[in-house]
Amino acid sequence: MSIYVSVQTKDFTVANEYQRLRQITHSAGAVVTFSGLVRDFEVGSDEQGQKDSLKSLTLQHYPEMTERLLEEIIEESQKRWSVLGVTVIHRVGRLLPNDQIVFVGVASTHRDDAFQAAQFLMDYLKTRATFWKKADVDGTEQWLEAKGSDTAAASRWEGSKHD
Amino acid sequence: MINLLFFGRLGDCALDVDKSIFYQDDLATPLDVRDWLAKAHGDLGKALSEPQVLVSVNKRVVKWDHPLADNDELAFLPPVTGG
Repeated sequence: MSIYVSVQTKDFTVANEYQRLRQITHSAGAVVTFSGLVRDFEVGSDEQGQKDSLKSLTLQHYPEMTERLLEEIIEESQKRWSVLGVTVIHRVGRLLPNDQIVFVGVASTHRDDAFQAAQFLMDYLKTRATFWKKADVDGTEQWLEAKGSDTAAASRWEGSKHD
Repeated sequence: MINLLFFGRLGDCALDVDKSIFYQDDLATPLDVRDWLAKAHGDLGKALSEPQVLVSVNKRVVKWDHPLADNDELAFLPPVTGG
């Protein structure tokens, strides 16, 4: 099992991360990669019905604690699925719409484990790792609230250990 | 000393709070620290008392009655929004 975790301000290149996972072992029959992007979401609307749009997102995290939590989440994925390699990269600092924000990649013997583990890692990362997003919406900054849909997505893995 | 950290929106409520406090018997748990902060900083006290706020000591999430020791790092964590 090969793990790569990075919390960084700099961007990542999916092709390089894919190669890293691909080269871990010849036993891998599947590599699943997921990239999350900063979405230009619309917040509220003024009297004319004009939507305010996102100018930037600023990501804060708790150094050391975040990396440890990510490693724990990866260890948990190992208990549930047969995975040979996992990469988690999360960017912090100021990001713009369409910027890459998160990367999760899983190498596994078979595709089902890789797909499921990647989904699990994203669900748990969103609800357990110590990151906080602040949105700049047309010059007004506001911290984003946790979404119930993310909590619901994470809860589907509870009590459903894969053997 | 106890080092205090406030993340996310809690940081905005704690801009004028001294982040380093003397370790003392009447600040024996995170709950004691929260109540003590609330006396001087009402808005912060209210924000810290929301049920979703978690507390960590030395980067591990703990219960609010966890015993504090000198030189501990105490952090207040609002619901996370990564990914």
